[in-house]
Amino acid sequence: MQGLSSSSTAGVLLDLCGVLMLLLAFACLASKLFNRYVAYYGAQSVVLSFAAATTAVAFHSAELWILAALTLAIKGIAIPVAARRLLVRRLALKRDTAMSTGLSTSLIAGGALTAFAYLVIRPALLPHGTVAAAVVPLSTAVILLGALSMVVRRHTIGQLVGWLIVENGVFLGGITLVSTFPFIVEAGIFLDLVAGVLMMVVFVSGLTRQLAGASAEELRELRG
Amino acid sequence: MIALAVLAALGPLTGPFAAACGARARVAGLAQAAGAAVALGCAVALLVMLLHHGPLLAWNGFLYVDALGGFFLLTVSGVTLLAALGSVGYLGAEEQRGELSRFQVRLYFTFFGLFASFMLACFETGNLGLLFVLVEASTLASVALVGLEGRARSLEAAWKYVIISSLGVTIALVGTLFLFYSASALHLGSNLGLTWPFLFAHAHALAPQSLRLAFLLAVVGYGTKVGLVPMHTWLPDAHAEAPSPASAMLSAALLNTGMYAVIRFLAIARARLGDTYPRAVLLSFGFASIIVGALFMVRRGNFKRLFAYSSVEHMGIIAVALGFGGVLGLYGALLQVLNHALAKSVLFLSSGDVSLRYRTREAEKVSGVLAAVPVTGGALLLGSFAVLGSPPFGLFLSELTIVRAGFARGSPVFPLLLLALLGLAFVAFARTTAGMVTGPPVATPSPYGDRGSAALTAAPLVIGMAALLVLGLWIPAGLDEVIRRSIAVIT
Repeated sequence: MQGLSSSSTAGVLLDLCGVLMLLLAFACLASKLFNRYVAYYGAQSVVLSFAAATTAVAFHSAELWILAALTLAIKGIAIPVAARRLLVRRLALKRDTAMSTGLSTSLIAGGALTAFAYLVIRPALLPHGTVAAAVVPLSTAVILLGALSMVVRRHTIGQLVGWLIVENGVFLGGITLVSTFPFIVEAGIFLDLVAGVLMMVVFVSGLTRQLAGASAEELRELRG
Repeated sequence: MIALAVLAALGPLTGPFAAACGARARVAGLAQAAGAAVALGCAVALLVMLLHHGPLLAWNGFLYVDALGGFFLLTVSGVTLLAALGSVGYLGAEEQRGELSRFQVRLYFTFFGLFASFMLACFETGNLGLLFVLVEASTLASVALVGLEGRARSLEAAWKYVIISSLGVTIALVGTLFLFYSASALHLGSNLGLTWPFLFAHAHALAPQSLRLAFLLAVVGYGTKVGLVPMHTWLPDAHAEAPSPASAMLSAALLNTGMYAVIRFLAIARARLGDTYPRAVLLSFGFASIIVGALFMVRRGNFKRLFAYSSVEHMGIIAVALGFGGVLGLYGALLQVLNHALAKSVLFLSSGDVSLRYRTREAEKVSGVLAAVPVTGGALLLGSFAVLGSPPFGLFLSELTIVRAGFARGSPVFPLLLLALLGLAFVAFARTTAGMVTGPPVATPSPYGDRGSAALTAAPLVIGMAALLVLGLWIPAGLDEVIRRSIAVIT
């Protein structure tokens, strides 16, 4: 997307979307409630679909419009609703206690990763003044923050949401770097995402049940 | 030709079809094997036509098969056939014993076929975006196989596998995006512009900075699927927990699929960036994998984990061979891909028979396999020697080629290090398997209901070992031609 400069309206809007997504990734990293993880992810996806719509307007591309609609419907609504119904509510999960570092440590690490994202994206890689130069560091930071929350969280749902945030970051980078991605490939990526989430939901519930069963077993043994 | 290519990718779907019709393990397994045989036949026919007519390009580059793709098609469809034959006995015994429910057996064949089809399709697309989609789809299909047994450990292994691999492949997608970005000067408008042959042909016009990043991200991303250290952590768990024929598929087919994607990126990177940078990247990941793989093999324990670490080591060897480069290095790498696939299929399938009979996956508790079950014991022993690269098996030849390629590239440090590490791996690996094969036999009842299943279990072991022996003594002219053409495609 070389035609789009960072000072055009679409460029500014995309930049804004990137910043909002980064903030939401930080918010997710800083929260401890399963409900919030899902809510922040949903909000981030809505912002992402707005970004896709912005590019769709800028490039008069019908495919990007479909993509924006798909993002909103699947990532913004379907996945958060499903995650809340099938996982958080059904397994009666509230507060995530399985973290390998404290919240403040992970936030500081997140800040460092954001700085790193700006450091590595050099002008030699992406020329100044293009929208990609402004947004790609943000999307890289979102990817790194998602990966960080996967590392920090030991609970499977925390890791699942971390992966979804990574996907959002990749998507943001994708629509600013390459606007000519063929639709069939985008659709395939979406299918993979949905299948992946379904698969993971099955495993999360299976694992949670197994672990709950195991601990109940232990209790019985201790009593006997 | 297009029909052949499509049939090769869709062939293995006979298994899911049979499972959907409600077939039991035996019938579904035989259907699966028939489908895999069809795929193998199509792959061979396709290769013959490719040698005569050159690469096949259709549907805007969404369908693209060249000699390299054909070579991997051949390897993976062959592995699928062996693993499908092994599945008949293994799943049948598990079903009979009540370890797996009928639903689980149907699940197994559904995902087995899908897994194989997705992998075969990977080798038939030129569009790098679609390659990502298919690789990720193959991950998702194989996850169900890893978690099939439904115990806490297998679920955990499956979780680790899906989360690490999905993240890794997503990184590869970022690499793909940067590759497309590096081609901005070419004004990619059509789908054809996003295909490998186009980008490779126009490599000189790619922006070197972003191509460098793209290559590194692709190696890290697809390297996660290959099992390169330090992205290998999912691999031992997944291989140990999956049913043995599925482990064979993971080790001998899935890892190669990842390697195929790495080779495609490597070809573009070499064409634009020269030799130094790709070489440094591949040699570091490769040697790290060999070292870690060899060291973890020293530990005794679960024999399937041992085989899994040996896969890490072998993928490292292939990466090193790709790093050495040159015709000799690439020849060794491709030969190693084929030989390792055959040897690992034999090892994992024989480990399936052992774990069915002894009801354990711990090497300590197994002894005297050779006396109790001569075919399996023989396959285990000879397969171990083959995988360790001792003559007269194929891996000796390919590893020798790789070491020669290393010496041909100047500094003798790397090939000497490689030889030393191979020696360490030899001792570590043989110590465990020799203990399993020899010793006093333990009386174990046959887990198979009838002689037919037992024969079907032995068949892939014999076929695999025979192929390995042949490849060690003599490389058929057709295969040699295919490998040379493959090298010509990527240099």
